[in-house]
Amino acid sequence: MKYRITHSTLYQYSQLVGLCQNEARLQPRDFWRQQCQSSRFDISPEPDDFQERRDFFGNRVAYFAIQQAHQRLMVTAVSEVTVFPKQNADDLANSLTWEQARSKLQEPPVQNQDQRQDFSDELLEAKLYLLDSPLVTAGSELADYAQRSFLPNRPLVQVVADLMQRIHVDFTYDPSFTTIATPLAEVLQFRRGVCQDFAHLAIGCLRSFGIAARYVSGYVETQPLPGKQRLVGADASHAWFAVYVPGNGWLDFDPTNNNLPFDQHITLAWGRDYTDVTPLKGIAFGGGQHTLSVSVDVLRLE
Amino acid sequence: MNEPTNDISAQFYATQLGVYDEMVAQDHKVLPHWERFMDTIASLGSEQLELRRREAQRLLRENGVTYNVYGDAQKLIRPWKLDPVPLLIDSDEWSFIEAGLKQRAELLDLILKDIYGKQQLLKKGLLPTELVLGHDGFLHPCVGALPDLKHQLIVYSANLARGPNGRMWVLDDRSQAPSGVGYALENRTVMTRVVPDIFQDMQVHRLSGFFKGLRKALADIAPHNKEDPRIVILTPGSLNETYFEHAYLSSYLGFSLVQGDDLTVRDGRVWLKSLDGLQPVDVILRRVDDSFCDPLALRSASLLGVAGLLEAVRRNNVAIANPLGSSVLENPGLLAFLPRLSRYFLNQELQLPSVATWWCGQRRERDFVLQNLDQLLIKPINRAPGNHALFGGLLSAKEKELLRAAIIAKPHAYVGQEYMSFSTVPAFIDHRIEPRFSVLRGFAVAGGDGYQVMPGGLTRVASRQDDFIVSNQAGGISKDTWVLADKPDQQVNWWTQSSRDVILAAVTEPLTSRAANNLFWVGRYLERIKAATRLMRTILFKLTENREFNDPLDGQCLNELLCAITQVTGTYPGFIQNNASVLKEPQDELLALAKNSRRAGTLATTIQTFAQTAFSIRDVWSQDTWRCVDNIQRRWKQRVVDSDCDLEQLQKHLDDLVTGFVAFIGLTTESMTRETGWLMLDSGRRLEHALTLVALLRATVVQRHETDLQNQLLEAILEATDSLSIYRRRYRSFIKLPMVLELLLLDETHPRSLAYQLHQLSSHINALPRDRGNGQLSEEERLILRAYTDLRLVKVSELVKVDEDAVVYSELESILSAMTERLWRLYEVLAQAYFSHSQMPQLMTPTQPEDEL
Repeated sequence: MKYRITHSTLYQYSQLVGLCQNEARLQPRDFWRQQCQSSRFDISPEPDDFQERRDFFGNRVAYFAIQQAHQRLMVTAVSEVTVFPKQNADDLANSLTWEQARSKLQEPPVQNQDQRQDFSDELLEAKLYLLDSPLVTAGSELADYAQRSFLPNRPLVQVVADLMQRIHVDFTYDPSFTTIATPLAEVLQFRRGVCQDFAHLAIGCLRSFGIAARYVSGYVETQPLPGKQRLVGADASHAWFAVYVPGNGWLDFDPTNNNLPFDQHITLAWGRDYTDVTPLKGIAFGGGQHTLSVSVDVLRLE
Repeated sequence: MNEPTNDISAQFYATQLGVYDEMVAQDHKVLPHWERFMDTIASLGSEQLELRRREAQRLLRENGVTYNVYGDAQKLIRPWKLDPVPLLIDSDEWSFIEAGLKQRAELLDLILKDIYGKQQLLKKGLLPTELVLGHDGFLHPCVGALPDLKHQLIVYSANLARGPNGRMWVLDDRSQAPSGVGYALENRTVMTRVVPDIFQDMQVHRLSGFFKGLRKALADIAPHNKEDPRIVILTPGSLNETYFEHAYLSSYLGFSLVQGDDLTVRDGRVWLKSLDGLQPVDVILRRVDDSFCDPLALRSASLLGVAGLLEAVRRNNVAIANPLGSSVLENPGLLAFLPRLSRYFLNQELQLPSVATWWCGQRRERDFVLQNLDQLLIKPINRAPGNHALFGGLLSAKEKELLRAAIIAKPHAYVGQEYMSFSTVPAFIDHRIEPRFSVLRGFAVAGGDGYQVMPGGLTRVASRQDDFIVSNQAGGISKDTWVLADKPDQQVNWWTQSSRDVILAAVTEPLTSRAANNLFWVGRYLERIKAATRLMRTILFKLTENREFNDPLDGQCLNELLCAITQVTGTYPGFIQNNASVLKEPQDELLALAKNSRRAGTLATTIQTFAQTAFSIRDVWSQDTWRCVDNIQRRWKQRVVDSDCDLEQLQKHLDDLVTGFVAFIGLTTESMTRETGWLMLDSGRRLEHALTLVALLRATVVQRHETDLQNQLLEAILEATDSLSIYRRRYRSFIKLPMVLELLLLDETHPRSLAYQLHQLSSHINALPRDRGNGQLSEEERLILRAYTDLRLVKVSELVKVDEDAVVYSELESILSAMTERLWRLYEVLAQAYFSHSQMPQLMTPTQPEDEL
């Protein structure tokens, strides 16, 4: 499946901004489920300084600075991405129990051919996602909620699928309830939130049981209602999570939609939680009050 | 003359059982170098030593080491105490410690490089991932960002203590932004002044070589301008507990002291915002915690950092010592792995062992810790508010249960440490020499081939005899550390010799906009204090006169002056209220004007603000000037604010205050070069002087009074503006409004006149750095020109021309009020042009979660 994604962010200020510096994670990364053919930025005013790199998690980051006075900043990223339909049924049949997965992550490094003790890169990377992160602190409350899904000797993927489904059923989708700063404990208490909260919640539940889980930011293709025109720009950013299944790799789950991302989920970036993959963040000097508007368009090309 | 007494000789020294003592060591025999020292102080006697101790305290206080923080009297003032008895270390012992510190610094440097580079230690399992990646000091944006340098860890420090077996142990390693070198240097400076004779005799290693090394180490890491790099010290500001040291090092090493908003990143480079425009910065000696250094890439809520700083590091356009991310080494859990890593990297055993540490991330170690909770010190690997080290044995059963649960829930986040008893060292306390537990902080700096260790360090002893906790927070006492040499040290030449025979252009460190702003306000506060002091003195004088002669005219004049002081100081309602008793019994309000430090505009408040503002630019003042500031604020606090002084005593203290600020003005006038900094200070003074003078005239003579009353008032005004004697010389005994106005407003030769202030202000403003490209006057030049011209066009006879029945001199009032407005506008324009270096930064991340389906 091929898509063109247009993601625009417009900042408008009540006063002049003399300098602003930004980091954008708006260019989809490549991995086994997708390939990004092209990705370009259209930034106005044109940045005086622009530099691309990869971050610690392997995501694409663009640093840019605008050093002239401005009262309006428009950042548009246009990307063309192919998502490979991959059957997830096989993954769901994986029989590794969650206890086995947990102990795999605790094992000391294995002997490899050179007789040197080394962790596989994959395992080493996964260990990072066992730890607390700025927005997700594992703890007993999360563990209590998750407990029902962690039946003894249950295959890990089934534990996660069950957890995902429970979150979908137990929690109300409510954009008016949370902000970025709403702590997970509150989401858990009031059973409300949005996709980011649900992803964080699932991640926290899994980490509380010693399972590695990461946060994925991206988009999901939407279908117009029957008989309606497709509306350009009416789409939005989305977020879900992935879990590490030792021996099999990372598997995506979308608790908001209660499904396994297949060919309609386009991945931008991943990290420990939202703070690692904020699509666009910046510091502006001056500016007074600012307003922000975002529009996202996910267009299926073929 | 007192006969010297032997009351402090070594024979009266009683060590504690089972504790190693630095002086008597294992054999309970005074070590030879201590014996020499103790003989010397014994021949001085305790009286004499106490005098020397007091002299040291005086010097420290006057140098500003006492007052780390102004303002919060309860919490933050922490006097720096120095014991005149140093810690002595002989040269054999020292070479062992020195080698151990060098080795540790090398090792930690290699670990740091690995963590932010190839991460072999993690891949091979030599360091557990959760220990490193789960530590708050691990800043993932810094991975791969560190420049390729011989050493990454530039400044290193460690706290050392000697155990009961006489062996030196490392308690913890400091890599974030090690503090203490400045205090060590200040202690040394004071010691060489108070016990020069003993210092000379003992052949003590000098510290200056270390500081030369530090300066070289910083210059060596500059990515650009290696010949003459611009190096700055980044401080969180004057509220920081070690701010004294930041300012001290900046003066000593000759680096600009800057805060985050003094710097900006443009085109991937770091720049210093100065009055002369943006100046490139090559090296930053960082005293701000790394995670606060870049609100874009690191902790976003930080106002202490510089947005884009890490990007400049990535492009190798600036070097930071220590590099961002280096706090990852300040992890007590690492201590458990150092012996293994030392063998891995250096193929050596650790020469200085760490205090025994069990990291709970391993099952066996965790079980050990849980079983021995009572005997151990439990530390979280991350330092955070409310997350302290706990002595297991001191916890209640309930607390212990909570701690146990916390360790089981996140074992990797805790260590257990052996609870070690330190050695004692002789300390001079209450006229006696007694043993106190001590900790030595040692320092190393990266050099060409390895690390250079400071031959000395900062020794601290517990504040109470039975106290094991040695810390500044707990009111500990510091000591100089004397490393004894076999032969006298060579004097280190502090000046760097240029390899080529060239004449370098003299550079003045650019003045940051923040410093300019503070200088300007120091000037303004000073004049505010001056105006209030003189007026209050005049009032107190009148008050006594009034009591003596009981003349109704005196009473009227006094009332006018009381209302005037409320207006000049802006302390409404004060004497201007519908309550005659305030005027009748003015004592309370007058005392409040002097003492009340919670009310804006009072002398107490203004003096405090003056000292705080001066302290926030401590680095620009000479030692003598700072002493003046300190005296002004300290004396006023002791004698007036904190005492029960009455009006009579107040009069005396006001006289002293005048002497105090006259000394400050004299010193700054004498010692400051006539550059931008001086222009700022003096412009602030001139502007405020003009404003207070105008306010005084508006409050007193604009209104018409009976001739007798007016004459009395005029005399008081002349007195309060320090112009009475010059008036008498000029005009003899005739006192008349036009002549007074002539002198106070228009006489350019009179340094107290308005004309003089505007004249000075005008020439200062013309001299300020600005872009003179288009040949047009700047806004501030235009304003001061207009104000000055308007004044010069004034005819005094017009000012006092009124109808018989008029109640006010309306022409005078309109001239004066226009002047006030113009001067206020001038300040705004100056602030805009020179001080508005920081548009407030704001975060542009969405605060609402993104919508989705």
